[in-house]
Amino acid sequence: MALINIATHEIHCKIVYYGIGYCGKTTNLQHVHKSIHPNARGDMLSIATETERTLFFDFLPLDLGTVHGFRTRFHLYTVPGQILYERTRLAVLNGADGIVFVVDSQAEKFEENVQSIAELEMNMRRIGKNLATFPLVMQWNKRDMPNAVPVNVLEHYLNRRHVPSFESVAADGRGVFATLRSISKNVMAQL
Amino acid sequence: MEQLTNLIISDRELATISAVLLKLMNDTNATSAMLLDKSGQVVAVQGTGTRRNATTLGALLAGVFSSSREVAKLLDEKDFRNIFQQGVQENIYTTMVEEQWLLVIIFDKLTHIGLVKVLSKKASDELGRTLERVRSDTTRTKSSVLNLQFRSSVEDTIDLLFRD
Repeated sequence: MALINIATHEIHCKIVYYGIGYCGKTTNLQHVHKSIHPNARGDMLSIATETERTLFFDFLPLDLGTVHGFRTRFHLYTVPGQILYERTRLAVLNGADGIVFVVDSQAEKFEENVQSIAELEMNMRRIGKNLATFPLVMQWNKRDMPNAVPVNVLEHYLNRRHVPSFESVAADGRGVFATLRSISKNVMAQL
Repeated sequence: MEQLTNLIISDRELATISAVLLKLMNDTNATSAMLLDKSGQVVAVQGTGTRRNATTLGALLAGVFSSSREVAKLLDEKDFRNIFQQGVQENIYTTMVEEQWLLVIIFDKLTHIGLVKVLSKKASDELGRTLERVRSDTTRTKSSVLNLQFRSSVEDTIDLLFRD
């Protein structure tokens, strides 16, 4: 749910990074936090376990500055990827304006990715949204892994809606901003 | 029900919201009062203590509420609407306004929770009426704010800022 505050001249949008455990959602946010101009971002907040797995969510506020008199802000969130946190993912999804589905390209993770996107569809229905018409971008992450599934296979099984998709190696920052640009524009176009 | 795509808060509605929050804060002697969207976005804040961290607080408080609501569902609670967090110094009471907003009151041990509950219910009803007006205004005002020029400029800014 984007919030357009005419009185304070602000626009706020929420983007959620979704995907299985260890697929690179937090790494995406960490790269954005590290690389973007400090004036354009707030502090990154991570609620993680002692072993640095996301427990609740990561949160990174971005500030595009004033555009045509409106201060435009994107709030980036990640969900916890581990299977047992299904209900937490649903809680974080609440009020999202756009979703980046991060895929771990490794062959042994293929089935988990398929289950995760099915879960996302179900969770969107639960919060009254239809994924078919919702701003969604796919990110094929970990493309540097030797056992990475070919992109055309990922596209066939995981991107049936033919939404924009990007290859990435989030640990090196490759593809991170291309993905963020795409989902941000997609969200703004839907406002 | 399909969620709205966005909510547009006008000057007039923000003034009403701010007045409700200020009255609630003064009447309960609270440190701060906030109105959040359930997505975690801050609609309005009163009180100096929370202003600096308002964005992060908004994200966390909405997350906590949403998470507790899921817990309540698992326990077959039918209508979960409030959370009370009791701290050593500061307490936080969060209550839902319709199914859209969260009213948050932060207060210290000198204020009794009973007073906060009663007055926040009253404030919440008033904010509910404001929300109705915001909902009906949203479609009308949208095209005047998000015009073609704005959309084109925001795309340019995204290209400029989000790059390797």
